[in-house]
Amino acid sequence: MIISLKDINKSYPGVVPLHVLKDINLSIEKGELVSIMGASGSGKSTLLNILGILDNYDSGEYYLDGVLIKNLSENKAADLRNYMIGFVFQSFNLINYKNALENVALPLFYRGVSRRQRNKLAMEQLERMGMADRATHLPAELSGGQKQRVAIARALITKPSIILADEPTGALDSKTSKEVMQVFRDLNNDGMTIVIVTHDPGVGEQTNRIIRISDGRII
Amino acid sequence: MKNPIFDIENWREIGTTLAQNKTRTFMTAFGIFWGTAILAMLIGGSRGLKTFMSRNFEGFATNVAIVFPGRTTKSYAGFNKGMELEMNLQDVINIRRALPQIDQSSAVNYLWGNVLYGQNSTSAQLTGVESGYDKIFEPKMYEGRFINEADNMQSRKVCVLGKKAADELFVNETAVGHDVSINGIYYKVIGVAGQTSEIRMGAELDESVIIPYNSMRANYNLGTKVDMFMMTFKSEYSPGDYEETVRRLIARNHPVAPDDRGVMHYFDVSEQFKMVDNVFLGITLLALVVGAGTLLSGIIGVGNIMWIIVRERTHEIGIRRAIGAKPRDIIIQILSESMVLTTIAGIAGICFAVILLAGAEALFNDEQGGIHFLLTFKQSIYILITFLVLGTAAGLIPAIKAMKIKPIEALNDK
Repeated sequence: MIISLKDINKSYPGVVPLHVLKDINLSIEKGELVSIMGASGSGKSTLLNILGILDNYDSGEYYLDGVLIKNLSENKAADLRNYMIGFVFQSFNLINYKNALENVALPLFYRGVSRRQRNKLAMEQLERMGMADRATHLPAELSGGQKQRVAIARALITKPSIILADEPTGALDSKTSKEVMQVFRDLNNDGMTIVIVTHDPGVGEQTNRIIRISDGRII
Repeated sequence: MKNPIFDIENWREIGTTLAQNKTRTFMTAFGIFWGTAILAMLIGGSRGLKTFMSRNFEGFATNVAIVFPGRTTKSYAGFNKGMELEMNLQDVINIRRALPQIDQSSAVNYLWGNVLYGQNSTSAQLTGVESGYDKIFEPKMYEGRFINEADNMQSRKVCVLGKKAADELFVNETAVGHDVSINGIYYKVIGVAGQTSEIRMGAELDESVIIPYNSMRANYNLGTKVDMFMMTFKSEYSPGDYEETVRRLIARNHPVAPDDRGVMHYFDVSEQFKMVDNVFLGITLLALVVGAGTLLSGIIGVGNIMWIIVRERTHEIGIRRAIGAKPRDIIIQILSESMVLTTIAGIAGICFAVILLAGAEALFNDEQGGIHFLLTFKQSIYILITFLVLGTAAGLIPAIKAMKIKPIEALNDK
């Protein structure tokens, strides 16, 4: 079991506190391709942020690959994100003044890997995504699908335990969406655990398991 | 992560970031460049002004008092008021005996002289001096030597020509060793002298002819008359403290009222120098205040730009945090960038200022020399360190601010 959530609660403080996640219990096995689906405001993004150690939760327990993720220092959280999680975002989140190769190599910079080694590994990942010929292009010179492939290559370079994708096809047309989903399916076939957050039923259908979330509860 | 200072990867990352954001890098660098350049020019400029002004007073001892006669303002011992005082050698002897605080001194007499050499002639102020005179005035010797004690004691017929007088009489010849006629009496030229300071007593040294005091007295029948008495005091004494002593000594030797202030004048040169010192102090203070202002605005500028940069990069910082950058990595990155920029731009600014200052120095310096606009190496290092420390401090606030942004908030910042 790579992800295990027990009675997770999360609310945002305010004049009227917003209880976003209510007693979430969830487990995901190694090698699964799972989608979390829900309408806007259902709490799915908050859930993804908690899974990605980008946000804290109020109560409950979250184990990621056997490690309890709770009240971590910023440094510890940064390390765990670097070593265990690969992020893929809707808006790609590539650094616009770095070329594709440098973007892919960046996570290894924060591990202290040498430049030569970094670039070698980044090139391997780009090849795997079929993007080797675009290695020196800046993000602005790439199409949406190409950007997302670079982002996926960046997520993969740290050999993470899971890949978390937040609306990975949200900014893409239907044809490239299919291609990107195919990339995820191929990765899953190679044994990668992938969690995709989406509101698009077409994307959900292509995953092995759909977790529906509504009003802060799993249904 | 390894120590960031010795980690080549860190430097590569800084280099790449700076090189790939050219406009931003240039704008920040220009602010620092300008700040250091202005500060360096200000410090160099005030130094130049100071050396420029102090050159006027070079070659003249500062601890000097000059005594010269006046007219009585009270009738006394049967004499009407308005009588001219005539100082004599007895006064000089009395003053020298009463004031062991005197370091160097000279009685001085003036005459107008026609100087002849062959077919050439010139008119010059004839100055009779004792051997202490060149310690007070420090003339610049072009040739030969100045009047010494033996010349005066033995009333030798020797003279020192002023540079202009020598040029007129000898044109391209050497003057030393030749004889010149001054008002019909021949003197051997022993030296050619010029003026170093802008201070003058009567004519400029360049336009006068100097002979021993005793020679002048004997050759032109001046008796024991003394036109002026100059003295320097040992450095621990102030000339102003001895005016009353000198007045008493003069009054005792002449039929004048002891409390008559008009009898003689006592000119305390050190007073004038104190005023000049105050002007210098003012220049230094002004440079300091304006410099501090420049520094402050430069630092605020750097801090401001760093703030904008951090705002602009919040999203990027979010991405970096999401993929594993620790808060420390972000702070080190922002600070290293600002330090690298400050160092390079600061050095460039100082170099720019030094080029301008070197130009000013070349422009203002004539053959006399002595004007210094250029900074010392120490000063430029201090300017650089000040900018580095304050620039880093200014970058620190936005850096800490950047660290406090949570990764998700930063990611959502578009």
